[in-house]
Amino acid sequence: MSDKQKLVDVKNLKVHFPLFGGVLSRRVATVKAVDGISFSIKRKETIGLVGESGCGKTTVGRALVAILRQLYPDVEIDGSITYNFNGKSVDFARLKPRELRKYRSKVQMIFQDPFASLNPRMTVAQIISEPLQLHTKMNDSEMKDRVGWLLDKVGLQPEQAYRYPHEFSGGQRQRVGIARALATNPDLIICDEPVSALDVSIQAQVINLMMDLQEEFGMSYLFIAHDLSVVEHIADRIAVMYLGNVVEFGESSTVYYDPRHPYSKALLSAVPRPDPHRQRESRIVLEGDVPTPLNKPSGCGFRTRCPLAEKSCAEEIPVLEEHALEHWVACPIVKEKNAG
Amino acid sequence: MENTPTVDQAAAAQEQISLSVLKKRWLKFKSIKRGYYAFIILITAYIISFFLPLLINNRALVVKYEGEIWFPVFQGYIAGSTFGEDVPGEANYRELKVKFKSEKGNWVIMPPYPYGPYEDVTTAGNKMYEEPGRGHWFGTDNTGRDVFSRLLYGFNISLSFAILFTIASYLIGVSIGAMMGYFGGKFDLITQRFIEIWATLPFLFVMIIISSIVRPNFFLLIVILTLFGWIGMTYYMRAEFYREKTKDYVAAAISMGQTHKKIIFKHILPNSLVPIITYFPFAVIGGIGSLVGLDFLGFGLPPPTPSWGQMVSVGLQNMVKWWMVLAPLGALFTTLLLIVFIGEAIREAFDPRVYSRLR
Ligand SMILES: Nc1ncnc2c1ncn2[C@@H]1O[C@H](COP(=O)(O)OP(=O)(O)OP(=O)(O)O)[C@@H](O)[C@H]1O
Ligand SMILES: [Mg+2]
Repeated sequence: MSDKQKLVDVKNLKVHFPLFGGVLSRRVATVKAVDGISFSIKRKETIGLVGESGCGKTTVGRALVAILRQLYPDVEIDGSITYNFNGKSVDFARLKPRELRKYRSKVQMIFQDPFASLNPRMTVAQIISEPLQLHTKMNDSEMKDRVGWLLDKVGLQPEQAYRYPHEFSGGQRQRVGIARALATNPDLIICDEPVSALDVSIQAQVINLMMDLQEEFGMSYLFIAHDLSVVEHIADRIAVMYLGNVVEFGESSTVYYDPRHPYSKALLSAVPRPDPHRQRESRIVLEGDVPTPLNKPSGCGFRTRCPLAEKSCAEEIPVLEEHALEHWVACPIVKEKNAG
Repeated sequence: MENTPTVDQAAAAQEQISLSVLKKRWLKFKSIKRGYYAFIILITAYIISFFLPLLINNRALVVKYEGEIWFPVFQGYIAGSTFGEDVPGEANYRELKVKFKSEKGNWVIMPPYPYGPYEDVTTAGNKMYEEPGRGHWFGTDNTGRDVFSRLLYGFNISLSFAILFTIASYLIGVSIGAMMGYFGGKFDLITQRFIEIWATLPFLFVMIIISSIVRPNFFLLIVILTLFGWIGMTYYMRAEFYREKTKDYVAAAISMGQTHKKIIFKHILPNSLVPIITYFPFAVIGGIGSLVGLDFLGFGLPPPTPSWGQMVSVGLQNMVKWWMVLAPLGALFTTLLLIVFIGEAIREAFDPRVYSRLR
């Protein structure tokens, strides 16, 4: 795997939200939503990002499209998000808004809630042509053609362009969202649980559409989900997140069939799978609640619920180590066991 | 590229089916008859009131005098001597009309209701405290001015004042509230503290002080009232923008590199119109009330201006002349009632329970 193929390299990314309180609005606490994660996405690749609710998946996605600073002026971002656009490398964690604007067309996002992600006061044509207005020099008729073409690509009728979002079903709205993300030919699309708000019957349709589009246009996906079975189907590699950290990262089948980190094991044991190759393991039920990112345990975030936890786990945050080829796990205990 | 389907063909037909939410609300508003009719009546009356100088005026529309044609309504002041009239100052066109009846070739066309709002006792032919009758429909006041005429001119002034005041304070209040909710952080914090301090300024004292230094006129009054009136809207707008900003369509707009200005005005504002529109009629009522109050207390528009507050005030000093009290109070009551009906209907049309999915 040469570096040339790499589209984005995330290194030690931290996203902290300070909380203010009191009369003078003094800083009272810090939400460590993302606390030092590293991974990379190659061209034409799909990375699956899984984890429980509140572990920081959306925050990672928003960091990658660089919208956190505008959404939350107080946010603290550390680390680097280095994109490689046609040989030019830019760090989205550091770029000024003005410079960022040039690259915004390259990274787009599809959102979880198709009812909130489309402006209810704009027609579909207005919604899809907005990125075109910002990033291309198309005239009106070219833009119309492009909108019609995009709608066709995502399986909608071009005649529906002059309707408002509320006249569409959830699945259709999500297709509009996909068309908007696709409009500027991005290199990477962040998909933040794009199907979790949809009916099960429609989920497969939308996922297949996204896979077809990737085949045709060759962009990369960061596919966020909390359902591992969905991700296994679409992703080339999977990153498992727990409380702001990536605990396991590797080829999709490796992580899926041979999880090493105790958290991944627990997560996977909850997925019902008709799989003859895999011996029946008893379901691992985790004890206790997920700690909040406001008040993380010291050292390994998972140690309060981990069946393998030892004293040493409280000392340092474990880093990802390569346990097997291209299979990264953040747990020294597991490594010791496998070695010994 | 293959032959891709074009958007235009079906567009025209689709556009009619696809009504924006605002259009749907307008239709709903229309279906609420009381509010809709009140709206029609008020708007019609307001539009007509701009043509009052042609309908209710002591200046003639046209005068023909010795072969020459004059348009006093448009030309303004014309001395009486011009028409061979023996009066000091401006011509008295009502008397001129009577006089010209006997003169060949000379004639005067008066407006349908030939009494102006500014005439007073110094003009010959005016009587003080005349009871309502065929000449003066609502009688005359303590200076011999026609009450009906002043009432209608006062309608235009009151409503124009209130609407301009509302628009001005909304422009400021909406912009500042929107920025507070949208940018949040330090800007929000500092502006909030400023507003808290500003809101404690005693409006009436400031008003008394200002009007003792300068004689307030129409626009100065609007400016002063606006300085105190913009605050209310910021609360609603701040909350609206705060809520809307968390929605993903804003995140999407930011992710494609849209500017803050466009996001505020093109994306979020159209979704935050509900408080603006639903409070507009009530803000207009507040504006009328403020002007009436200030005029009543004598800090408002300068005296010859036909204003309802001043009319009520003078009327109360002459309680026995019942028409001088009842007329302005009745006009005020009717106008406010019409606006309340409108406001009520707007509120119902915008009730989120009906279109909760569309908001
Ligand atoms: N603007 C913010 N201010 C403070 N805390 C925040 C903010 N945004 C997110 N958080 C917190 O950061 C943590 C991670 O949030 P995030 O939305 O990234 O989780 P998620 O993995 O996407 O969860 P879900 O599966 O529910 O979407 C949560 O505990 C959340 O409460
Ligand atoms: Mg999320």
